[in-house]
Amino acid sequence: MEVIKYDALQESLYHETMENGLQVYVLPKPGFQKTYATFSTKYGSTDNHFQVEGEEEVSVPDGIAHFLEHKMFEEPEGDVFAKFASQGASANAFTSFDQTVYLFSATENIPANLETLIDFVQNPYFTDQNVEKEKGIIGQEIGMYRDNPDWRVYFGLIEAMYELHPVHIDIAGTVESIATITKETLYTCYNSFYHPSNMLLFVVGGVDAEEVFELVRKNQSSKKYTPQGAIKRLFQQEPTKVHEKLREIKLPVSLPKCLFGFKDKQIGLTGEALIRRDLTTKLALDLLFGSSTKLYQKLYDMDLISDSFGHEYNSDPNYGFSAIGGDTKDPDALLKIITEEVKAMTASGFKEEDFERTRKKKIGGYLRMLNSPENIAHEFTKYRFRGGDLFSILAIYESLTLEEVNARLRDHIDWEQLAVSLVVSP
Amino acid sequence: MNKTRFERGSAGHIRIHVLPTNRFKTFAISLFAGIPLHEDTVTTTALTPFVLRRGTESHPETIEFKEQLEHLYGAGFGFDVYKRGDYQIVQFRMDTINDSFVKSEESMLEKTISFLGEVVTKPVTENGAFRHSYVATEKETVRQKLESIINDKIRYAAERCIEEMFKNDPYRLHPLGQRKELEGISSELLYVAYQQWLQQASLDLYVVGDTTLAEVQELVETKFNLNRSTTPDYARVVNDVTAREVQTVEEVLDVNQGKLNLGLRTPITYGDDRYAAALLYNGILGSYPHSKLFINVREKESLAYYASSRFDGHKGIMTIQSGIEMENYTKALDIIKAQLESMRSGEISELEMSQTKAMIRNSLLEIGDSAFEMIAYDFNRVLSNKDRPAEELLNQVERVTPEDVVAVAGEFHLDTIYFLTGKREV
Repeated sequence: MEVIKYDALQESLYHETMENGLQVYVLPKPGFQKTYATFSTKYGSTDNHFQVEGEEEVSVPDGIAHFLEHKMFEEPEGDVFAKFASQGASANAFTSFDQTVYLFSATENIPANLETLIDFVQNPYFTDQNVEKEKGIIGQEIGMYRDNPDWRVYFGLIEAMYELHPVHIDIAGTVESIATITKETLYTCYNSFYHPSNMLLFVVGGVDAEEVFELVRKNQSSKKYTPQGAIKRLFQQEPTKVHEKLREIKLPVSLPKCLFGFKDKQIGLTGEALIRRDLTTKLALDLLFGSSTKLYQKLYDMDLISDSFGHEYNSDPNYGFSAIGGDTKDPDALLKIITEEVKAMTASGFKEEDFERTRKKKIGGYLRMLNSPENIAHEFTKYRFRGGDLFSILAIYESLTLEEVNARLRDHIDWEQLAVSLVVSP
Repeated sequence: MNKTRFERGSAGHIRIHVLPTNRFKTFAISLFAGIPLHEDTVTTTALTPFVLRRGTESHPETIEFKEQLEHLYGAGFGFDVYKRGDYQIVQFRMDTINDSFVKSEESMLEKTISFLGEVVTKPVTENGAFRHSYVATEKETVRQKLESIINDKIRYAAERCIEEMFKNDPYRLHPLGQRKELEGISSELLYVAYQQWLQQASLDLYVVGDTTLAEVQELVETKFNLNRSTTPDYARVVNDVTAREVQTVEEVLDVNQGKLNLGLRTPITYGDDRYAAALLYNGILGSYPHSKLFINVREKESLAYYASSRFDGHKGIMTIQSGIEMENYTKALDIIKAQLESMRSGEISELEMSQTKAMIRNSLLEIGDSAFEMIAYDFNRVLSNKDRPAEELLNQVERVTPEDVVAVAGEFHLDTIYFLTGKREV
């Protein structure tokens, strides 16, 4: 067990790698009633074409990682939710582009709940019948998202930007793609991605670190795992330029939804370099589009944007893109003004004083995020899977320079790389 | 369980509730302003915080106003307008980093309360009214928010169901007011309404963080510019639950998925001695993945992705919601009604009792880990004049018997069935 101390944050993180390769992290929060635990695999919706060392290359149906997440909750003796409920734990799971996370939150029976979490994820139980049954449920989940204009405009943007990289595929897949899922394809995915060496357990809350490690050691040594080779994720070469400039979806909305963004040209960063670029980009976007900027206020006063206007940046070693926008009565006018103002800003660069103030805001937001055990567990795992460290962020923020942010601004805001997604009423 | 005892006092006819603790990295602050929900004031009250967030006497321009928050390390500032029982509540919320994590000369708490005091009591004015341009833009913002409710079909269906249930009761009103009223509100009229609101509203200020009651009281005395003569209490909800014939409402919109919502009335509210039993009733019926609705609508029949119930103890209503294939309306409704019937006839297992108790226990114990959750729980006490600490409610929940739940089940009366459906093929 190693201890990593973050004095500036007043936190101590405990870490150990189990013999089978499972990474375990514990962050004790003295005085907290609750324990929050996540058991995550580095496997998400974009891992649809892969090869485990020494085995055959596989392509699987869209939406299968999410489907697998649903099916994990079924065990031969029944539904795992019932077991968690008997132990007073609230359980859940979610699937993103690059990870699947199983979790519980509880104030009592922590050892039993931890064992339940680890055991159900390490015990797949798929039958032809229970796989068929799930298709109806997920079909309704897909239907629910199809009616959600925010989700549609977001995926519309990614679809406009990306032609071949699977990030443009809806996480849940489609009714047609999930129809082809069988228990065999589920086992193939499970056996490839749920090996302990591809997984991470994070426990945060009112726990004793050594007790958690002891429990996990015992639990894992009782299970047989043969070492697994590296997983190769296979991606077709994604063109640098955007797939489509504009994508429009018809759905009844009170006002059009307009989301635009820039597709990064340079990819392939990992670890701290990736985090640094992530933070620099978010800072630049906040300086351009944040609610205290002149541009935001101007657009707001012209009634071209509302409180729904926002911005985000999403990156991974294989992709990077921004998404900016919200509801607007006039997408053309909005884009026209933004283009003019952002071009002027890109030419002049940001001011030192605005940079410092925004950096302060970002540091505050980061520290506030650390009040939430849920956020810590999710963010830590996300960064770890990308080879970085959530707790290094404060130091990175402090070391950022105005020149760096200005350089990143000019690099990211490339009008050739712009794509626009609209949702408008039929 | 951690005992969370707020220290209480008052200043300037604002009730003050302080929980001194160093468990968090922040100061969490909430100001609740509540007035009875009424057709004549609902729209001006809703519009008021939108205008207050635009500028103050000392920082009249919105950009500088917002920059203050960034200087406070991106202090979180926001507000919500919602209904609780028969009241319309405006809640201002702030979240500021504790001094020990940042380098600041002045106390962060002082600056935060000073900011909040200015926002609420010293808005920018012109010729004895709110600034005209701010009122004009914020009217537009509120109008767009009201119109955008239809974009999110889950929320839209929920609100339409409530509207149908309370056709002749102020509770039908949306907390953001009435669109048709907005037009006629001038900045003069709004300013007069604001002053009355500030005089008459029940005001409760909460602070959780590394401070004392005395410090907060002194800050409120100096930073809130109020001229109040009373500290009004909230009145208890008196519910008319005369049983009436169930009404069925169907509405057609361009949607992929149907939304089935049921509304039930009950005389049991937060202050009632049967409140704990009502929590059990709602939990067994539909608020968890082990509940009857989830098991029977989703797991057994694959009809839906979500099927749940929610109990609002402030108004005395329960709602049931599910997203289904339109052609499954009758089947889903029959299954839901069968669950209501099974609760009334006492088909409640020991396991359902113990699982639901464990889940409620967990959610009550978790409250102590979040500053804003503690504030929200304590505010229930103020709102309902019922002093029942979480540990006491916990004890009451433990003592509930299946007979108590059956007795309570007879007090929930189905009132409205609302179905949002798509265009039928002819």
